[in-house]
Amino acid sequence: MNKTVNINLAGIFFHIDEDAYLKLQRYLEAIKRSFTDSQGRSEIIADIEARIAELFSERVENDKQVIRIKEVDEVISIMGQPEDYLVDDEIFEDEPNASYSKKSSSSTSNRKLFRDTDNSYVGGVSSGLAHYFGIDAIWIRLAWILLIFGAGTGILLYILLWILVPEAKTTAEKIMMTGEPVNISNIEKKIKDSLENVTETVSDVAKNVSESVSSAAKSIDVKKGANSIKSSSRTFFDTIGDIIMFFFKVFAKFIGIILIIVGASALIGLIIGLFSVGVADIIHVPGLDLVDIANAGNTPIWLISLLAFFVVGIPFFFLFYLGLKILINNLKSIGNIAKFTLLGIWLISIISLIIVGIRQASEYAFDESYIEKTELPIMANDTLNIRMVGNDNFNPNFYRNNHSFKLAHDDDGNKTIYSSDVDIRVKSTTDSVATIAIEKSADGRSYEIARERAKNINYNFDFRNNTLLLDSYLTTNPENKFSDQEVDVVLYLPENSVVYFNSSTKPFLYYRNYEGNIISRENTNHYMKILFDEAECLDCPEDDFNVNVDTPGLKINKEGVEVKSEDGSLKIDGKGLKAKSEDVKVNIDSNGIEIKSDN
Amino acid sequence: MKIENTKAQMRKGVLEFCILSVLKDEDAYVAEILDTLKDAKLLVVEGTIYPLLTRLKNAGLLNYRWEESTSGPPRKYYGLTETGKLFLKELNTTWSELHNAVTIVTSQKTTKK
Repeated sequence: MNKTVNINLAGIFFHIDEDAYLKLQRYLEAIKRSFTDSQGRSEIIADIEARIAELFSERVENDKQVIRIKEVDEVISIMGQPEDYLVDDEIFEDEPNASYSKKSSSSTSNRKLFRDTDNSYVGGVSSGLAHYFGIDAIWIRLAWILLIFGAGTGILLYILLWILVPEAKTTAEKIMMTGEPVNISNIEKKIKDSLENVTETVSDVAKNVSESVSSAAKSIDVKKGANSIKSSSRTFFDTIGDIIMFFFKVFAKFIGIILIIVGASALIGLIIGLFSVGVADIIHVPGLDLVDIANAGNTPIWLISLLAFFVVGIPFFFLFYLGLKILINNLKSIGNIAKFTLLGIWLISIISLIIVGIRQASEYAFDESYIEKTELPIMANDTLNIRMVGNDNFNPNFYRNNHSFKLAHDDDGNKTIYSSDVDIRVKSTTDSVATIAIEKSADGRSYEIARERAKNINYNFDFRNNTLLLDSYLTTNPENKFSDQEVDVVLYLPENSVVYFNSSTKPFLYYRNYEGNIISRENTNHYMKILFDEAECLDCPEDDFNVNVDTPGLKINKEGVEVKSEDGSLKIDGKGLKAKSEDVKVNIDSNGIEIKSDN
Repeated sequence: MKIENTKAQMRKGVLEFCILSVLKDEDAYVAEILDTLKDAKLLVVEGTIYPLLTRLKNAGLLNYRWEESTSGPPRKYYGLTETGKLFLKELNTTWSELHNAVTIVTSQKTTKK
């Protein structure tokens, strides 16, 4: 059983099997493509359709009979393959009829990109491109080889072109492939032609005008002349239009090339990136551990990279495709299914990335801390020394860098995260004994996780001979990820005790005193006596009083004080005092007191 | 150089001349022209003729009129125009010259052998 289609061929009605119909349609389509409009395509096609209708009606005995594929095949074998329709223009180049040859020369067929499978090594892409660019295929092939060495991008590009560029199957396509290029000399010729036309008509008109002057009755001729100049100026403007179109096309091609370059390089970069991340993930490149630990959400890296690849890569692919489409008129469409699939993948990737992002962000949603308190046997009048201790493995230099999480191996060779995010604060207490509070805090997706991670922070201190040795680093197991772990060491010191911070503690102290923190960076290397909510330096040199105020109204500096206003001025310095108002002057100096009044 | 190309070029070169010759005495529609050319084995497939007819018509050598057909679509009857007749006359001369020339050249070669 076969489905049939009703067709109207040159005004005659036929029943035709669907497969036969499709074959006939393809055939007519192929023939249509072997002609250009200037050759009288529509007329030729109409003639051919009429002939096919005639041949069909010879084969159909009554109205009910259906045309089958057999009849179509017969007709095609009578009519010939599309290439048989081609009239080789070269043979007829020396056409005697001038008007005709002019017409044919103006129909410059555009070169089209096809794959040349006749001269192919792999898919005919290179020889096709060679035809398209009018160079020898060897250069294109060399370029491919270079590109293949360039991280294999050539292979990808080749495959893309292989898929997207149609093969030159018929002679028509093969001729189009090597078609005449639109070049500067052609334009030149065109301009010359049209200019000649214009000068001709101008002289014609001049002649006509002179004739019309001699005889008023011949005024119709002027009209004629005007008409002819009109029509030839139209052809002139047509030519200008053609030239503008040509430049527009060149511009479009230029944009197309840019799009291709941008799209291709972005894609290539992304693919290289994806490959290297993927490969590094599989073979466990050491540097990647850091990324893995920073990745608190535990989403696989390859998945994130793949999603990112799709999100960024698909738009660039479309750019690339658009560029190709601009450049190559007869580009095979990648098809709606592929387009929508890509669009779908893109949307899904974006949504997934957002979800991953939210997950990642939510890892820092809860910030919890865990506090351990220990008493230190420091009473009033005792002196406490404080020093930082490093570790050969972690932070040996006491260099404190906020939020710098690093990965190192401990003495047993286990991987450990360490950070120098340790802060020291000092508060006074009315208790008789000092207390040290270690406040560990970390982030997590939930309260429990954050608290668990805070608990898992290792931080140690040691107290010997009135000396407190504080670790300059905190460590935690890599399982806990980088979740903003930090340690606050809060020292509660009884009043009247003395504390001496070694200079090693400097980076871990606050810049300023605030909120009960009474020891800042300035106070290191000094004996500080703890008072109520403040500390007194016992061995600090007196600070130089240093004030420097310099405003139009008031100046205070080493030399003295100067006040100026509209009504008067006052100056106090080492020499004495000078005061001036509108009417009164007062001077006090080594000479004594002088008061002057204008009144 | 392929023999097929040369053959096709030879055939196509004389095809226009032959089409004009077929129409020399009376108008004919495409199928009739085709029959004559196919009988003479000058044409293998029919497709070739359509672009040629359109060319000749566009060049002003041919014109056509429509005639209704009983068995199919209306037919285009082609005929020679005045220019076409002149053109054909000139081609005839050229052809006989060419024929002579070719005969002389080819027969000379055979006698030499």
